[in-house]
Amino acid sequence: MNWTANDLDLYMQQQEYIDTAIIPLVHIGSGGAMKQSASSAEFLMNLAAFIERQFKGRVVLFPPFSYTDGNDKSRLASEWSASISDMPFKHVFHLTTDPSWSREGIIPDAIWIPSIPLESMDKKLKQSVLEDQVRQIIPVLTARWTSE
Amino acid sequence: MSNTRVSRRQFLNYTLMGVGGFMASGMLMPMIRFAVDPVLEAGAAGDYIPTSQKVSELTEEPVRVDFTYDQVDGWYESEVTGTAWVYKEGDKVVALSPVCKHLGCTVNWAGDSAHPNQFFCPCHAGRYEKNGQNVPGTPPTGPLDEFDVKIEDDLLYLGATKPNTLI
Repeated sequence: MNWTANDLDLYMQQQEYIDTAIIPLVHIGSGGAMKQSASSAEFLMNLAAFIERQFKGRVVLFPPFSYTDGNDKSRLASEWSASISDMPFKHVFHLTTDPSWSREGIIPDAIWIPSIPLESMDKKLKQSVLEDQVRQIIPVLTARWTSE
Repeated sequence: MSNTRVSRRQFLNYTLMGVGGFMASGMLMPMIRFAVDPVLEAGAAGDYIPTSQKVSELTEEPVRVDFTYDQVDGWYESEVTGTAWVYKEGDKVVALSPVCKHLGCTVNWAGDSAHPNQFFCPCHAGRYEKNGQNVPGTPPTGPLDEFDVKIEDDLLYLGATKPNTLI
């Protein structure tokens, strides 16, 4: 499900089946890091859309949660997860290309995916690259689903 | 010079008839054109989307065929990639939609090693037979949709989805 009114209507009716929130964590860099962070965000959002399509009936893809270098990550994460835990999701998956979330233990189970610059690829290559990445992430997701 | 004389009365009659005819047709033509317009509208033949799949390479084993098309939603224009599971049934080409009838996940052929000859939905373990028939006892409530199929120069074209006709 996407974060749209129509999809959330369906979610309201089928909460027992749609039990997973997918939250992309998007870094917004400043200065020279702007392009690099845009490229990562592009990759991450493409990947998230792909996962959403594959698992439409089980996940809700949240709008990207974006932060800058000036944000206090641990405070952001605790405020954010407090609100999310009020929602009836059994599983919350954070997708990010920024390794600091899991490395610094802020969100220990954040799924880190190394960013691949998609901007110079043609459509076919882009699609197959994303497919490969999704194929690697699917076992991570299904393992967490079956672990409980 | 012609020797038949046209009287003033005849001349005026002809002129009035000619001008009146023009005026009448000027009014009627657009009316008739509007009335028959729905009939003249071009059929939706352009709705078939070409794929790169060669029909001669298809077998009885379903293969994934991707196709792309533009979608405009409000101001948000995007290129959407669609997928179909295509196989040959005798000489007939069958293209099934991969969208699970339960909640819309994407199903995979032989996605579950315990059921190698079925479509499998990874979200809630829904299963379908090869012809799209949903396996009773799994969450899906109906069979997989089917695509309209067109073959041109050995290439596969996919049209609109329709309810499954194989069952």
